Amino acid sequence: MTFLVTQLRRFRVPALWLGISLLLSGPVVAQSVAERIQLCQACHGQDGNSLIPNIPSLAGQPEFFLLNQLVLIREGVRPIAAMQEVVKGLKDADIQAIAAHFAGLPAKAGDEKTDPALVTQGAELAPGLECISCHKPDLTGQQQMPRLARQRLDYLIMALKSFRDGTRSGADPLMVGAVLGRSDAELIALAHYAASK
Amino acid sequence: MSARLSARALTAGVLAIAMSVAGMHAIAQAPTASQATPAVQPPTPATPAYMMPMLPDAKAMAARSNQSPTLSGIPTSPIATAIEKLPLEKMVLPPGFKVETFVSGVAGARMIYLGPKGTLFVSTSRLGRIYAVKDPFGKKEVMTIAQGLTLPNGIAMKDGALIVVANSKVFRYDAIEDTLDKPVQTDISEKFRLPGDQMHGWRYIAFGPDSKLYIAAGAYCNVCELNPGINGNIRRYDADGSNMEIVARGVRNTVGFDWHPATQELWFTDNGRDWAGNEGPEDELNRIAKGKDGAFYGFPYCHANGMPDPDIKRPDPCVGVTLPVALLGPHGAAIGLKFYTGSMFPAKYRNVAFIARHGSWNREIKFGYDIVTATIEGGKAKVEPFLSGLIDKEKNVGLVRPVAFLQLQDGSLLFSDELNGAIYRISYSDASLRK
Repeated sequence: MTFLVTQLRRFRVPALWLGISLLLSGPVVAQSVAERIQLCQACHGQDGNSLIPNIPSLAGQPEFFLLNQLVLIREGVRPIAAMQEVVKGLKDADIQAIAAHFAGLPAKAGDEKTDPALVTQGAELAPGLECISCHKPDLTGQQQMPRLARQRLDYLIMALKSFRDGTRSGADPLMVGAVLGRSDAELIALAHYAASK
Repeated sequence: MSARLSARALTAGVLAIAMSVAGMHAIAQAPTASQATPAVQPPTPATPAYMMPMLPDAKAMAARSNQSPTLSGIPTSPIATAIEKLPLEKMVLPPGFKVETFVSGVAGARMIYLGPKGTLFVSTSRLGRIYAVKDPFGKKEVMTIAQGLTLPNGIAMKDGALIVVANSKVFRYDAIEDTLDKPVQTDISEKFRLPGDQMHGWRYIAFGPDSKLYIAAGAYCNVCELNPGINGNIRRYDADGSNMEIVARGVRNTVGFDWHPATQELWFTDNGRDWAGNEGPEDELNRIAKGKDGAFYGFPYCHANGMPDPDIKRPDPCVGVTLPVALLGPHGAAIGLKFYTGSMFPAKYRNVAFIARHGSWNREIKFGYDIVTATIEGGKAKVEPFLSGLIDKEKNVGLVRPVAFLQLQDGSLLFSDELNGAIYRISYSDASLRK
């Protein structure tokens, strides 16, 4: 919880910081899996479908994908500042339980609108990049490869650019190879196509 | 945390994290519940023109390959297979050889190295960990001594220090075997100037007979034109990273090399490209002949035994290319390579190269997932199966993904299995044959 406080302090919101530090001043004890899941839901959505810009949906993701990413995030291979406190001290078995929970929830269409022209353009680009070879024809993902269908559009765009630009630590090397050298316009079209599925 | 408190904390969490996303480059305003803060995208770093890859037309390439569009990469589990579930009984070996589990519980095991004081070091790739197995011949206590590294495939030792090459980083852990509980990491990356590309960014390393550190720097793509002075090569350095020299160019990606015990020449495996059909181009077994340091091995223009690339074309694609000594099969992902110098195995295995075929993803009917031997005579190599039986033909999946070898003092041979997070020991006795 000290993390949240530090974040608020960073952004110089003293009044809010004071309020929240009072809220969180209780002792932080080991949390149950159910409590951890509540923490996940705060950002990734009560039902695992995120309503917050740039925060991905977890609902309906392949279980192995969630397990794998949580391990990589826990160990700092894929460091995400906002996630550090949430995954701290998670045991492998906790991670398996959290992964199973979100994998079992239905993925729902989000509140963002996709652009039909960009969807068509993305659909034309996708075969050449072999998107469906890993993410499956319906883009629901499998094994270590995430579901793209019904993922948040803004998150997809952000993620694709970070793969291309090499700014995502712990990225899957095959994915980095797949989007190498692609323009922003191409990646945005691909994101619209994927989110629309 | 009480239930009442947690509900309020959750609201706080949402606000804080939404703000941290929005506020990367600006000081956030205090948000209100109804205010959706637009996200600020981090700026795209400008890529210098010389670094822009020359890519083939991907759509045409995919269509031409005639391969199923459902082929996909094979996951490495961050959780190791339980010891009783390892597929030991499926492994088929020549008569007299025996295989047993040596260490389990090393998820994502890649390279293996035995320290002079008896600690077994195990690297991983995507998982970012380095393990140490204390007392590997006794209690076999597995501990994680480093984690959160980027593709830390390459490990070796020098003067008691563990050297780890993790993509563009080189770390040294001095007196590692005396400091396993609290290893001290020194970042010595700067002089090495290794490329930081993720694809093929898991580097094989080894000290040569010349005491130089040899490091593989693969191509950052499946197939593309690249600067052979940066990518697609094997280079060597003094241990501190100075005096870099390229010893082989036009190498797509090698994850295993070794020096022939008699000739001291460097031999290396190289993986064929993907999406050019199920039958190849085949992986290669290459040799750098004496006096031929810096030779060009063909990538991306010319593969295998002189197959011009269907996508990246140039006139006379195979002119000036050093062709392989032997082919190692289509999409077998031949990686680990070690010459056997022990006396436990029959004499015919002396100076024979053991090659680990990790097993491919880019092939409709899976191939590899085994160990082969290459017997070298008169500049030629004869490739034969050694350890097999590890493809479930019905499910079309590999049961083991062999990566690297380590010869023990008694002449037995260890190999690592990335898929199950285990290390096995192969030994030989003719007692069973004499019965």
